[in-house]
Amino acid sequence: MKKEIGVIIVSVLMVMGGCSSQKVATNTSTPKVTPTSPATVETPSSKRSSTIKRSVPATAPQVQQMPSGYGFDQWQTGPIGDVFFGYDSSALSTEAQEQLQKNAAWLVSNTNKTAVIEGHCDSRGTSEYNLALGERRASSSKEYITRLGVAPSRLDAISLGEERPFALGTGEEAWLKNRRAHFIVK
Amino acid sequence: MRLLKRYAAIILLAISALHTLSLPLVAEEMDKYIAIQKEGTGNIPLVLNTLDVRSKNDADTARSLDAVLRAGLEFTDIFTLVPAPLNLKSSVGNNRGGVNFSALNTVEAEIYVGGKVTKKADGVTLTMEVYDISGSKLLFTQAYTGGEQQLRALGHAFCADLIEFFTGKSSVFGSKIVFVSNHRGFKEIYQCDFDGFGVEQLTILHSITLTPAFSPDGHYLAYTDFSSGRSKLTIKNLASKQSFTVANSGIGIDPAWRNNSELATTLSFEGDQEIYLINTQGKVLRRITKNDGIDLSPTFSPDGRYVAYVSERSGQPQIFTQAIESGAIKRVTFSGNYNTQPAWSPTGDKLAFTMRENSGALNIFVVNTDGSGLTRLTENSGNNESPSWSPDGRMIVFTSNRQGQKKLFVMSATGKNQRQLLRLAGEQMQPSWSLFTK
Repeated sequence: MKKEIGVIIVSVLMVMGGCSSQKVATNTSTPKVTPTSPATVETPSSKRSSTIKRSVPATAPQVQQMPSGYGFDQWQTGPIGDVFFGYDSSALSTEAQEQLQKNAAWLVSNTNKTAVIEGHCDSRGTSEYNLALGERRASSSKEYITRLGVAPSRLDAISLGEERPFALGTGEEAWLKNRRAHFIVK
Repeated sequence: MRLLKRYAAIILLAISALHTLSLPLVAEEMDKYIAIQKEGTGNIPLVLNTLDVRSKNDADTARSLDAVLRAGLEFTDIFTLVPAPLNLKSSVGNNRGGVNFSALNTVEAEIYVGGKVTKKADGVTLTMEVYDISGSKLLFTQAYTGGEQQLRALGHAFCADLIEFFTGKSSVFGSKIVFVSNHRGFKEIYQCDFDGFGVEQLTILHSITLTPAFSPDGHYLAYTDFSSGRSKLTIKNLASKQSFTVANSGIGIDPAWRNNSELATTLSFEGDQEIYLINTQGKVLRRITKNDGIDLSPTFSPDGRYVAYVSERSGQPQIFTQAIESGAIKRVTFSGNYNTQPAWSPTGDKLAFTMRENSGALNIFVVNTDGSGLTRLTENSGNNESPSWSPDGRMIVFTSNRQGQKKLFVMSATGKNQRQLLRLAGEQMQPSWSLFTK
């Protein structure tokens, strides 16, 4: 029993930690927009690593504009934001739908761009199931954007399941960051 | 194994001869032991004597073979090795073949196994004798010859014969386990012998490679790989090294073989994720499932007439069986709200699977294919998942993170004697035990 209470306290602290860190993130003043030359030349290997490897962007930001708020965190610095999901779900929340509408609008006005939508899952559950669930998250996002007028051929939905987590560790703070459809503009 | 030559000339009494000479006796003995195994009344207590040698030069070889035999017999969990009595080789008392059965009767053992090693220019010969202690009867004797480098194969050939004699079935000796490991950075596919020896890398894709499965004849390896940037099913011919990737758009995950020419996997090229039967060139032969939501992780009954899989059709992942021809579907799991990774037992009557419990822990259970007899196999030891049956159905290999990182473990089919299979750096997962190589 004591142990359980301990676990609850720890999780409450974790959730609190999660809230405060989010606040910090949103309060950060938007950095000056630095026009950079568009992404480095893509070789086949760097192309693969962009979809398979996960790395915190430490190099020059490849962004036209630094957005903030829902859908944008240290792993999402592109022009369109990620969407997040509940446990074992590929259903689109109101927030997710709002983000997808913005993403669709951006894609509609940038017709020369395409996007890869990677479905991701938290580490709970089994890896085969998470690969399937990740695909559902990516495809439900793709479907939604398609209905807003973006050609399906411009959106590539793939799944990485639990294979490439964004946040490491266990606990809801990490898990909620890992349950996402991650957008990569090409 | 194929390289072994068995010399009939030095067989004191060939198994076949024994069968013809005293068939009722042997049949009776076999029935008795098969019955013991079926009832699960425990392991057969056995005395394994150290091997005799003619010359001191052969002593090292004999010691190596002793170790192979001991480890082999212990691994299978069919026998309990009882220490030999001190006066085993005394010439007094009820003595047969130099073995003192009066002394053996003083220890709680039913079977005596002894043998000798002879080395000649053409290789090493291991001659083994197996006695029933109570009747001091010779049950069988067999000789095995091979090169000095084949001691493991020699010892295991005897272990296989011994187990086949007592259980009436083939054993795990000679079978392989294929699995995923990241100890060299990327998740790649490896194989090892049934007992964790002889680890060998099978893929070098520098990507994410998952869910390997050998075809029953061992000629093909099917797996999911991300080398194209998305999860695709690849079927590799291990002899020609040629591989086919299922070309359809969408996902291709978690294959299972129905026979040597057909396998099933989840594909999503029609929109929803469904299970399809495909051939070794990746051509779709038949769609198996038809419903909204995830359908995943097929596993076939030994006769190939039924398939079990994970489906979300009831809202949460549960395990279902389906008759391939009629399409009749039955739900198998009702306990727990997250049941995945079904594995159909080679005996045909059970499914092993992984349940995500309310505590969040993953644990392995078995259930009869009609949904009755749910039995827990793992408990209070981290996350335990990815069960795969040994080809004889007596053991299960699985993944556990009970020591921190994910490693491969084995246990008996009833969950007893859980131990680590191999010690390798990094994490190992998704083991799949091959069928017989014979």
